[in-house]
Amino acid sequence: MELRQPSSLADVDGGLPLAGGTEVVPLLRDGLVEAETLVDIRAVVPKGVSGTTIGAGTLLAELEADPEIPSALREACRLAASPQLRSMGTIGGNLLQATRCWYWRLKYPCFLHGGSTCHARQGEHREHAIFGNEQCASAHPSDPAAALLAVGATVRTDRRELPIGELYRLPTEDDRNVTALEPGELILELEVPRPEASHYLKAMDRARWAFPLVGVAAARFGDGVRLALAGVAPIPWALDSADALEQATPLPGTAYKVELARPLIRRALDAIA
Amino acid sequence: MVNGGLHEVDVPVGTTLADALRDVLGLTGTKIACGEGHCGACTVQLDGVPVLSCITLVHTVGEREVTTIEGLREHPLVQAFVEADATQCGFCTPGQIVSAAALLAATPRPGHDEIVHAMSGNLCRCGTYPKIERAIEAVAAENRGG
Ligand SMILES: Cc1cc2nc3c(=O)[nH]c(=O)nc-3n(C[C@H](O)[C@H](O)[C@H](O)COP(=O)(O)OP(=O)(O)OC[C@H]3O[C@@H](n4cnc5c(N)ncnc54)[C@H](O)[C@@H]3O)c2cc1C
Ligand code: SF4
Ligand code: FES
Ligand code: FES
Repeated sequence: MELRQPSSLADVDGGLPLAGGTEVVPLLRDGLVEAETLVDIRAVVPKGVSGTTIGAGTLLAELEADPEIPSALREACRLAASPQLRSMGTIGGNLLQATRCWYWRLKYPCFLHGGSTCHARQGEHREHAIFGNEQCASAHPSDPAAALLAVGATVRTDRRELPIGELYRLPTEDDRNVTALEPGELILELEVPRPEASHYLKAMDRARWAFPLVGVAAARFGDGVRLALAGVAPIPWALDSADALEQATPLPGTAYKVELARPLIRRALDAIA
Repeated sequence: MVNGGLHEVDVPVGTTLADALRDVLGLTGTKIACGEGHCGACTVQLDGVPVLSCITLVHTVGEREVTTIEGLREHPLVQAFVEADATQCGFCTPGQIVSAAALLAATPRPGHDEIVHAMSGNLCRCGTYPKIERAIEAVAAENRGG
């Protein structure tokens, strides 16, 4: 394996992007991704917060302490992972983290790996999805992604701009990816509108430092309120209203997540009222 | 730079900082438990900030200063951990001290919530958390001048 450390965007030429490496390094070691070339993108991807623009290379540890960004995003970063991981991991890498589904991590030939069945649907799936779970029932693990979805962030890549909702897609028969990024496409910046109020709440198995069983982000712009959930679908999930929770399609082992989400949604809405 | 000394290591790309410290430099105080970023046993400081050496590639460290438990031998936390009886099997202890030292450097007198937040990435199977907190508070009290 080779490591390239380009100093400008123009010098990036293929290879697997490596930012904080908190996700890439374990995936490489477990053989879940393969690469001949690693590209350390830290010198080419913008970092830091400037007005409403957040560099994709900004560390979660910086965002959790930034008073200017929407509180839902700040709180989602503060509640994500552990202090060490937040000092290493970037927001760009966080948005692109792979599923924590243990069948996938253990290399079961499941739907997401290109196979034909979802082992979790028939097997152990307590941590899995209650929406969009027909073919792959994995639960998207990113807290910040839900917060960014609720505040209506836009993603700027080296090729285009797209609303964060369009960064993600449910895996289909023809394309098992959960993001719409093209091979080699880099996320450079996030444009993050300032809501009048926003809030993030997270239910987890331990009081601290665990992936979200359910995360709820709520943001208010004028009279309009937007809700987005983490940990409930293979991708971050926008809810049109609190009532939309009733359209969930839980599995036997995930029905409890609907009951967990209901009071969190109510509390998040109260907090931004 | 490791604990103040300059080292150049010649290892294949993909080698982690933890493996380089332990196997190449013989600094075995840094422990590897999960190897996946879950437990904090492998915590070292990079330019004073606690990071996980088991998922840091050594080739990305560059010129930054690495501080391992061996570099903190004289730190008052070591004695405080002993006095507070804050280790049982001791496997997590180096990582705990590395995280706690960074906390105290940034915040000489942390409150309960700050301690819990800063230490939450260091798991202890033996459940010594209350004693670890007492050890940190003891050193913080010295920082207060008594
Ligand atoms: C044990 C553990 C617990 C965690 N708990 C949580 C949690 O509770 N909540 C939560 O939200 N997250 C959690 N995380 C995820 C963590 O926040 C992410 O791993 C981290 O933010 C990823 O950032 P990174 O810079 O290290 O990414 P990397 O590992 O460097 O990269 C991740 C992926 O993104 C790609 N990539 C990175 N940057 C870019 C870019 N700018 N453009 C295009 N592609 C890019 C890489 O190629 C790779 O595929 C946890 C992670 C671990 C290991
Ligand atoms: S939930 Fe998705 S990743 Fe997990 S086994 Fe099913 S198809 Fe695979
Ligand atoms: S050994 Fe590095 S986090 Fe567990
Ligand atoms: S003392 Fe045994 S793991 Fe902490």
